[in-house]
Amino acid sequence: MNDIKAVMIGGSAGSFQVVTKILASLPKDYKLPIFMCLHRLKHVRSGFVEALSIKSEMPVIEPFDKDPIRPGVIYLAPANYHMYIEADKRFSLSTEEPVNHSRPSIDLSFYTAAYAYKSKLAGIILSGANRDGAKGLKAVKDNGGITIVQDPKEAQVDTMPSSAMALTSIDYVYSTDQIISFLKKINNA
Amino acid sequence: MSDNIVTITDEELSFFIGSIRTFSDYDFTEYSEKSFKRRIEKVLMDYKLDLNSLILKMRKESDFLERIIKDITVNTTELFRDPKAWHTLKYRILPRLKDNNVINIWHAGCSTGQEVYSMLILLNEMGLIDKAKVYATDLNTDVIDVAKAGIYKYRFNLGYLDSFDKVIKENPYNYDEFKEVPYEKYFDIDKVQDSIKMKQFLKDKPVFRKHDLVKGGNIFYTKFDIIMCRNVLIYFNNSLQNKVFELFYKSLFDGGYLVLGIHESMLGPMTSKFEKKGSNYRKKLL
Repeated sequence: MNDIKAVMIGGSAGSFQVVTKILASLPKDYKLPIFMCLHRLKHVRSGFVEALSIKSEMPVIEPFDKDPIRPGVIYLAPANYHMYIEADKRFSLSTEEPVNHSRPSIDLSFYTAAYAYKSKLAGIILSGANRDGAKGLKAVKDNGGITIVQDPKEAQVDTMPSSAMALTSIDYVYSTDQIISFLKKINNA
Repeated sequence: MSDNIVTITDEELSFFIGSIRTFSDYDFTEYSEKSFKRRIEKVLMDYKLDLNSLILKMRKESDFLERIIKDITVNTTELFRDPKAWHTLKYRILPRLKDNNVINIWHAGCSTGQEVYSMLILLNEMGLIDKAKVYATDLNTDVIDVAKAGIYKYRFNLGYLDSFDKVIKENPYNYDEFKEVPYEKYFDIDKVQDSIKMKQFLKDKPVFRKHDLVKGGNIFYTKFDIIMCRNVLIYFNNSLQNKVFELFYKSLFDGGYLVLGIHESMLGPMTSKFEKKGSNYRKKLL
């Protein structure tokens, strides 16, 4: 197992319940930073971070531009911004055009995290209705990181994990419970 | 979209920035690396060029140079983006300035002008437009031309109307209060032409100038009550941000406001000279 230093999760508004379940299962003293890029419904842009905070023992934050990455924090890409990970382990935000109709774009967040963390990144794609994230997960693989998709059989809408599986080689196809065990395992590695 | 992704290395990025600096006035040395790199990669894909051909062409053709500068700088902006930020202007900041004889406002990095028109509409609703002097600058003359014309796509920007309602018609502190303000008071919507056109009285108001925040200084020989600079500094690194904060500090009246994007914050030595409230920074009184 690689020595994983960060986790990047992508999903759509429909994966909210899965995300909630995952976050609720992680202990307060979880060591790794977790980046999350989730598509949002246009009319419910706010309230996401509050809803996730209620369930999670770890702090959930929408980062500000240039914030340093801290261990044990869950970072959620803010609505209407792209979230990038810089090589010096800081965030930078961008308002450039939506990619695949999405801002935040999962692909863009994954590219930058893959480049910053190389083989020390685990990338996870959850349920979702479009192809965003597939190319991003390929970038994780190309940089030597670990690639995981939620089992399409379990996903509410399987376009997102299936597109990723079609584009790159996937290390693990996991159910939600397996994703949780994996996250706990890399934390103790 | 194709699945092929063009990527450039850190060395190629430095080479590109260094080259541009030798044959133009543009200096991108202190731009945020990730987003700048991504913009160059996008340009290479869109124009189907490799990096050397791109640099050569930019060196030879000044029109092409300007076009690429426009493409690699981010020019996205919206009417009343983040209504909460505009509520702060409407209920907290502008009321404190309403008794001034003049209200000086600088939109730094105005891009295609949507924030400028948002401000003008808000000022007009508050009865302050006549005492306001509004200045707007951007690095790129192409986007300034769009800002002056004040014409935007309609279908692509349906969110504008929703945000307009939230800021201009509704009162977030009192849901019973609702002010009926027709859109036609400020812009004409033409669904066939797919356009939103700002009214002439709004377009007559601002002074637009080309200005480079990296090198420019204060070109207006006046100080400001409000500097709007939202989602511009995110493209700069910390050291360049700090230089721009120094410029803004010098350009504000005591007690003047610097308004940043809702996910931007000031870091570094200038923070002690401002009083922070959310993403608004008030220049401390000496």
